[in-house]
Amino acid sequence: MFAIVDGAIDVGALIAGAQRPDCGAIATFVGTTRVDQSEGASVEHLEYEAYRPMADSKLEEIGAEIEARWDVRYVSIVHRLGRVDPGEASVVIVVASPRRGPAFEASRYAIERVKEVVPIWKREVWSDGYVWVGSQVGTREPAAEKP
Amino acid sequence: MIKVLFFGAAADRARTRERGLDVPDGATLAEVWPLIVEQHAELAPMRDTLAFAVNGEYARGEDTVSPGDEVAVLPPVSGG
Repeated sequence: MFAIVDGAIDVGALIAGAQRPDCGAIATFVGTTRVDQSEGASVEHLEYEAYRPMADSKLEEIGAEIEARWDVRYVSIVHRLGRVDPGEASVVIVVASPRRGPAFEASRYAIERVKEVVPIWKREVWSDGYVWVGSQVGTREPAAEKP
Repeated sequence: MIKVLFFGAAADRARTRERGLDVPDGATLAEVWPLIVEQHAELAPMRDTLAFAVNGEYARGEDTVSPGDEVAVLPPVSGG
């Protein structure tokens, strides 16, 4: 399943959906929002937006790349949009394979590709402004000067 | 007329998320870019960081656009 969703991601349900009798391994990657701090300010939450339907088709393409490279029987990538509070899941990847090696490798590949090609953007909403991650554009000038 | 979409930091800089734009027949993306900047000068400093998509697929400067196409201005992606 490849999906872009507005609400909380049910990680347990995604894992349960990957269980198969022909697979001996399910690898799960959960990306969660991390709260950074600098000079007395802190990130209050993150906000994600996507270019749809391009983002949806890129998730499906990543799934096809994985199935061409590894012996996997199930791949799911779910990304959340909108406001995501600290510690919550913003992306969940679940891969089932007969063997653990391909499951680990494919799940790692999936998150790296998500970060490379899927048109999704996040901005950090700080207590004193916001910053678009990757562009360093926003209303929070001190952060905009960080490397 | 093409449709231009702006996302993330580019939408901030452009102060809009979508606009129509008249471009010459057979114009390439490289030729469309200055026309976008004419309307949204604050995008100019972002040029080297931006990618483009035409009708939902990544495209390069030499790719041409046709009337009715959807051109998306994409800052560095930051999902995950």
